Amino acid sequence: MLRAAIVGCGKIADAHASQIRRIKGSEIVGVCDREPLMAKQLCERFSVARSFSDVNDLLDSAHPDVVHITTPPASHFDIARACLDRGCHVYIEKPFTIRAGEAEALVALAASNDLKLTAGHDDQFSHVARRMRALVRSGYLGGPALHVESTYCYDLSEPGYARALLGDRQHWVRRLPGGLLQNVISHGIARIAEFFTTDAPQVIAHGFVSPPLRRMGERKIVDELRVIVSEEDRLTAYFTFSSQMRPSVHELRVYGPRNGLLLDQDHEILLRLRGRRFKSYGEKFFPPLLFARQHLSNLVTNAKTFLARDFHMKSGMKYLIEAFYQSILHGTAVPIPYAEILRTARIMDAIFDQLGDATIHRPVFTRERRAYGHV
Amino acid sequence: MLMELDADVIGKDEVILVTGATGFLGPTVVRTLLDRGFRRVRCLTRTAGRETRLPDVDGAGHRVEVFRGNLLSRDDCVAATRDAAVILHLAAARGEKSFPDAFLNSVVTTRNLLDASLRHRCLRRFVNVSSLTVYSNARGWRVPLDESCPVERQPARRSDPYCFAKVKQDEIVTEYGRRFGVPYVIVRPGYVYGRGNEAITGRVGIGTFGVFLHLGGTNTIPFTYVDNCADAIVLAGITGGIDGEVFNVVDDDLPSSRRFLRLYKRAVRRFASIYVPHALSYAACDLWERYADWSEGQLPPVFNRQAWRTYWKRTRYSNDKVKLRLGWMPRVSTAEGLRRYFESCREKLQHA
Repeated sequence: MLRAAIVGCGKIADAHASQIRRIKGSEIVGVCDREPLMAKQLCERFSVARSFSDVNDLLDSAHPDVVHITTPPASHFDIARACLDRGCHVYIEKPFTIRAGEAEALVALAASNDLKLTAGHDDQFSHVARRMRALVRSGYLGGPALHVESTYCYDLSEPGYARALLGDRQHWVRRLPGGLLQNVISHGIARIAEFFTTDAPQVIAHGFVSPPLRRMGERKIVDELRVIVSEEDRLTAYFTFSSQMRPSVHELRVYGPRNGLLLDQDHEILLRLRGRRFKSYGEKFFPPLLFARQHLSNLVTNAKTFLARDFHMKSGMKYLIEAFYQSILHGTAVPIPYAEILRTARIMDAIFDQLGDATIHRPVFTRERRAYGHV
Repeated sequence: MLMELDADVIGKDEVILVTGATGFLGPTVVRTLLDRGFRRVRCLTRTAGRETRLPDVDGAGHRVEVFRGNLLSRDDCVAATRDAAVILHLAAARGEKSFPDAFLNSVVTTRNLLDASLRHRCLRRFVNVSSLTVYSNARGWRVPLDESCPVERQPARRSDPYCFAKVKQDEIVTEYGRRFGVPYVIVRPGYVYGRGNEAITGRVGIGTFGVFLHLGGTNTIPFTYVDNCADAIVLAGITGGIDGEVFNVVDDDLPSSRRFLRLYKRAVRRFASIYVPHALSYAACDLWERYADWSEGQLPPVFNRQAWRTYWKRTRYSNDKVKLRLGWMPRVSTAEGLRRYFESCREKLQHA
């Protein structure tokens, strides 16, 4: 039996508690939040025996084997270090840490204490992502990936988190060095990082506050980002983050020397992009048929998964947690290699370093004046 | 028979704090206070730029004080409650889809407000605005749903973050009343409608599956028009001798779901709807709940028997207590309230 604990009882903690509960051989032995009421509500809803408001009390009293850290990112490093010091394995929600240096320190500490770590990049373990990984490993691309395009959108017009963030000038997300981006782009960056091999690829980033947000008086939250990542003229990647693009997609395209793949996370669709071309007008008629067949195949796969009761919205998280627990119990490799976690952190560092003060003194176009002016 | 009412707990020049003052209900509550002659109304609002919803902000008497703050900040709460003799606590998490968010923005905020008001030792009434949804409504339909009806004992099982948060909010207010002597009153309105809330209540039906499923049938819909609800809240804030009491607020002459839908289609817009008989909707909720359980939440149990009892079970509502103890009467008739509501629905539709 693996004894799990959750530190931080906000929205994402619910997902962790739900998925841990689905994993045989594990139990939640305690939850912790600086706000005791928040810890108690999680306890009550998930029938957890004990709640704490201090992480040290949790570690001393509940003796968990593994701790899930689901607090705001600024506290990840200190809490993770405390857990590793007390002999606990640690699952840290994304973003792993604020800076890559902290991530490196945690990985080193885990290694020296013979403990394991993982990052909450659960999108990489959704059904469709696993299908894609299997195809890549089978050699479908025809060799190493040459180019990757990751698009990760975030619709700020949705209520809830976005409303809270935009309406609250003191919101914790605003205090992150990378602001909104730091809290949400990890999934999209991690997808790219998976294909790279060097520790720190080259990064060119361009970010800005979108005109709709600027019209609302927002100057700090960069909600549009375009990034080029490259590795020794062998592999390149584009990363796009947008709050304004519609549809608000979460996509990954991978191109190899022979074929490509398209992963559509929102619809759990995986399409094979065939490298060979048909002759003459065949190129106009056969590919649509082949795509139709692939879409139908995706539909059948999704339906089968649903009927098998394994199509939960957070099925990727369940898979990741389960794989992490297995690696702890059996001493096998962790589901996300540390090099990949660190690469993701370094790419994010490079992006935020380059954006710097990009959010102020940018020209803004107003329809009324029909001119560019500084605001 | 109207009971003789106790004297007001507050004078006209004492501070009344209204939280959630720029929300749907808040501006009407503030206007009601001003109409009753209260001269020091402090309006707590979190969102910038919504102060324009308030009446008399720039009026000659400067009777409305706008306080920008967040109830999650204890410092803001302490500042906002300073000198407040009455707190009308309207702020709540509406429309939150997650339990932690709803809980944080309803329960933690309420606790902060109560703690802050205890510091100042000048509070004479704390009005907690709750909701009819907290009731389990497990009794037979012939027994009217009134203040004696039990509250949900396992609100999390309803799978409704709003209900969970409201039950817990009521609990913490009651606890502070018991432990620290906070003089509280709980007001539980039905569905508050009017300009600014043009949605069709889920008690009538839902459009989740692409077509409007009419679930209410002949059920009475527990409407309360925004002005009437504001009156009840203000009366709960100022009437003496009612500490620790709970008041349900619904209007008179309530329409059935079917009648409401017919009037809506005639007055606002036509759309297709399918009537789902009660036995069928109950069976569907039961089935959904079992499937959610069996599939370990692959479909969240948002439709379940507890929710059915609250929203779609045939129910009679009583407003006897609020009339008797607070002397409340609906100022706007249901016919007039619906007319205004449909008018605002039409306007919203035109501007959409």
